[in-house]
Parts: sequence; structure tokens; C-alpha cells
Amino acid sequence: MIRTGITGIDEMLGSGIPRGSRVLFSLEPGVDARLFMYSTLTNSLSQGLRCMIVNPLATEEVFRSDLLEAKGVDIDSFGDRAVVLDSRERERINEAFSGREDRKREWNSLLQAVCDRQKTEVIFVYFDLLYEDLGLETGVNLFSIPCCEGKSTLVMENLNLEGQQLVSRFMEDFAFDLIITLKSGYTTMPFFNFFTLEYTSWSRMPTRSIPYLLSDGGIRLYIPKIVVTGPASSGKSTFVSNASDRGVSVDRGDQGEQTTVAMDLGWLHLKGFEITMYGTPGMPRFDPIIPQLVLHAMGIVLVIDVTRPDTFGRAKELMELAHVERLPLVVAANKVDLPHTLTEDELRARLDLRKDTPVYFISALKRAEVRHVIESMVDQITRFPY
Amino acid sequence: MYNYKTGIRPIDEVIDGIEPGSNILILAPPMSGAEKVGFVLARPRAGEYTIILSTDQSSLEITEDFTGRNADNDHVGVIDSITKMSTPDAIDTLRVKYIASPSDLTGIGIKFSQLAESIFKGELDQSGELFPPPVRFYANSLSTLLMYRKLEVLYQFLHVISAKLKKMDAVGIYTLNSESFDDRTISLMKQLMTLVIEIKEENDGGYIRIRGKPEISPEWMKFRIEHDELMVGP
Repeated sequence: MIRTGITGIDEMLGSGIPRGSRVLFSLEPGVDARLFMYSTLTNSLSQGLRCMIVNPLATEEVFRSDLLEAKGVDIDSFGDRAVVLDSRERERINEAFSGREDRKREWNSLLQAVCDRQKTEVIFVYFDLLYEDLGLETGVNLFSIPCCEGKSTLVMENLNLEGQQLVSRFMEDFAFDLIITLKSGYTTMPFFNFFTLEYTSWSRMPTRSIPYLLSDGGIRLYIPKIVVTGPASSGKSTFVSNASDRGVSVDRGDQGEQTTVAMDLGWLHLKGFEITMYGTPGMPRFDPIIPQLVLHAMGIVLVIDVTRPDTFGRAKELMELAHVERLPLVVAANKVDLPHTLTEDELRARLDLRKDTPVYFISALKRAEVRHVIESMVDQITRFPY
Repeated sequence: MYNYKTGIRPIDEVIDGIEPGSNILILAPPMSGAEKVGFVLARPRAGEYTIILSTDQSSLEITEDFTGRNADNDHVGVIDSITKMSTPDAIDTLRVKYIASPSDLTGIGIKFSQLAESIFKGELDQSGELFPPPVRFYANSLSTLLMYRKLEVLYQFLHVISAKLKKMDAVGIYTLNSESFDDRTISLMKQLMTLVIEIKEENDGGYIRIRGKPEISPEWMKFRIEHDELMVGP
């Protein structure tokens, strides 16, 4: 297996990319995603694999400098295990040959020569200029060179200007084994980057989109805001507190009569995700701040008290204030450790919940149950089309 | 709604500037002062920011030319596609981002997003006079980009960038040499634009023609640049 070095992705792929696979990182213009390629390259080299890098966009010196700046890794330190074919090779070929067939032949002999000399195990390709020079089919097929004893692994980065149609062609026409698309969304928050695991040939994984952050030369999967809302005294503060690794609560009032007056804030690390949670106040007098708290949220957890069906009208008001129809929603039916008669069907009917909205009957005092709700929230977020 | 002042009298006076999401093409023959007109249009006004994509000059040169015209340096970010060709180790700063060459559209997109993100986070200037911060994107020039990439590819790329500018309530300003490309190229580029400013040079000076807004006369007008404003008339 070849590891991408990105926490979460390798886990989802079953410890990495199988040797001999064809991998595509498809980038939408503007998305800061070069680390996906850099990370996979540096991990391959660190694993001792012999790599060829075909980068017609930059000279070898610029590529080396960019990699050093982004990852702190000097490609020269890997000696002969890293061979770079850079923009000068493309210029030379394009100047010497004007026809597509001639250029293809020249590229073929160049790639074969490197493979023969170095027994390349992984080929990294920055594809979009080759696509322009040679066309899609010829460009992709250039890299079907059998190196080593088996097939070499191919990892491509392509600037996708044609949308999902092009992604489908890589999957259907060229039998790529792993396709990850990288996009930026503006609807939830500005400059919010996410990747979508579009397809894996070796597992039946559902398509899912996951936000990420760039930090210290690495990629961290990230959920910047989950809002926890619900009527007063439904157990939101307890929920946030028990879900979090650390947190802050702003409560006022006598012991036993406390109410949240601003918000609860909690941070947690779960399954490779960095998550920030915001708990809203439940009292109606704080309603004007709720739309602000919900701004840029990626999901809503609605906490209701199963022993107080009389508060469900208030719960529906909060659902409207929080615009739950626009975001993934999970309902935590709290206080199941107290006597109650509420059934899931009754709850769904009273709150007009969609069939696919998950409902969990929990006690917010139990950390494991609260964490289970958050896991479900993460699952909802990663499947939500932003 | 926030309107962008252009420094071009007929546009600012007749239609009160241009709306967010607009794209302006400056179409001009070589040596006719297109860059100067571009600078007038791209200069950030109070509370605004400008992101320059420089394909012909290093960031040092273009910043000097640009801020020499009283533009606020703190409110200007540059995507420099020249310097790395001679200095591969050039490292990004808060305001200047380097890409390998004008052919690197992936790099242009990334560095544009990085600068825009810094502007929105208030990293370039924390005064935060206006939010969302008004941003002018100035690409000088499309002619160079067309020498490095195919027309269709550049068209698709600019189409995506335009959509992003629209979402940011920003405006795009582009220069294109009117004599180096065929009609099809110019026509395709025009399709992405809201407004086209044509420039021509006659014996008695420069002339300008504004196309795309019915309220503004499409006739050729003599122009001169004074104090960062483009004045028309004899």
C-alpha cells in the first residue's frame, strides 16, 4: 500500500492506495489542494519507492522550491529515487515536434528511458498541459508503461475545467481506481475547501465530501461549526460539555436554575476530525442571536427533552430560526433515563422530521451516547452536497 | 448595493460606477496606454482591495508602477508569474504570491484564493472599513496567458474565476492586445465581459470607446489621464 499521509484518507481507503492503482486528484480552479499530491509524493519517497515526477508546469528548481516551502521536504535528499521531467522537457518536445503523434512518440521514449534506468514504481503527473498538448486519451495512455515487475502506480493531478463529465471519463474510459475531487464551497463559508471521495475500485465506499484545513504542511479534516440547539432545560449545555474534549459555558442563575445566556463552546477531536461546537441559549429572549450563531454552521443537533412534549412547539420555532432545512440535522432525544412515554414515530410526527433525519434516544449525561450523536452528525455532514 | 467607481468619468457619472460581479475588458493595440487605463480602473478606493495578476512584470515592477499612482500598498496583493522563472526560490509573502509561470493556471487559482482569503480575514489591513471587502481583480494581461494556454482552456478558466468574483461581490479587469489575436479569440473573450473599453491611438492622442452599457454613448471619445482619473473630451 502507498500511504497518502493524510490522516483520515488513508484510514478510509483501508490503509492507503494499493500498488499498481491509477489515482486522480481532480482540482477545481482556486482550490488550495496541491498538498494532496505533495503529501502522497513525499510519503512514497519516504516509503523507499522510486518515483518519477512529470511536471510540465514548472522547472525542476521551482518544483523543488515549492515542495520545500509546502512540506519542508527537499526532494534532492532522495537522490536517484526521485526523477523530475519538468517544463523544459515539454518545451523541448513542443519546439522540436509540431504533430501530436510525434510528440507522443517522443514522450513515450523519454518516459520509457527513465523507467528502464530507474525501475519507476510510482509516476506522479501534473496532467493539464499534457492534456492540452496531446488530448485526453493519448495523454492518459502515455502513462501505461509497465515498470518494475508489475504495473507502476500512477498518481495524477489535473485542473478540471470541464466538471463532473471529465471525472466520469477518468473513471469509465480510463479505469482509474481512485478519484478524489477537490473543490471550494462558498455557500457555507467563504474559502471553505473540501474533498470528495468520488470512487474507489477496491471498496464499495459511498461518495462523501469532507472539509479540510491546511496547517503546517499538512491537511486536517475539519468541521468549523456544529450548532447544538433546543428548548430551555433540554440538556444542551450538558450535551456540549460531554461531547467536548474542552469547552466553555456561559451560564447564569442559581444552582439548579441555571440557563445559558450567550453560548456554550466545545472543541473535540473525533475520528481524525477537528470539530467546534456551539450551543445556543434556549430561552426565547435570546432568539435574536440564534441566526448569528447558525451563520456558517455545517450541521445542527436539535436536543429535546423526552419528558417535556409541551416544549416541542418551542423546538419547532428553534428549527425555523436555525434554518434546519438548509443543513444536515440530527435529533438527540434527551433524558431517556427519566420516565417518559414518547416514541420515535410520535416525535417525528410532532416535529415534522424528514424520514432521513436521524433520531437518537440518549442521556446527555452519558458521554458515549453523546459521542454517538456527534459521529452521526459527522456522517451526515460528509454526505451533504455543499 | 456597493458600486465600484472606475475613475472613468462617463461610467461614474452616467451609471454611478459598476456593479459587483462585473467584468471589464480593456481592448487596446500595443503601446496605446492600456496599462495606464487598467491602473486607473484597478486602483483600490477607500476600504477596497486589489489583487493583481502580473504576467509581464515582476511584482516589484508592477507594484512600483501601481502604487506610484497613489494606490494604497497595504490594500494590494500580487500574483507574480515572472519572478520564479529567474529566482526559483522566491518565497510567498502576505501580499506577494509567486507561481511557476503564466501557464500555471492551477497556481493562479490557488494564489488568488489565498490572497482573497487574507483580505476577508483582515490580514492585509485590519481596519475593516467595509464588509464584505470590495475586491478588484486586475489581470494584466490576457494576451500573455493566451500565449501559454489554449483559447478554450483559458476561456473555461476565466469563466470559473468570474463566477468566484461574482460570489465575492468583486469585479474583474482584464487587458487584451486587440491586434495580436483573431476575431474568434477576441469575440470569445468579450463573451465573458460586462463592459468593453476599447482604446485607439490617433495622431492627436488617445481615444476611448465604451461598449456594453446602453446609457453610455458608444462613440469614440478623446481621453487623457489626470490625477488617476480618466477624463474625456477635447
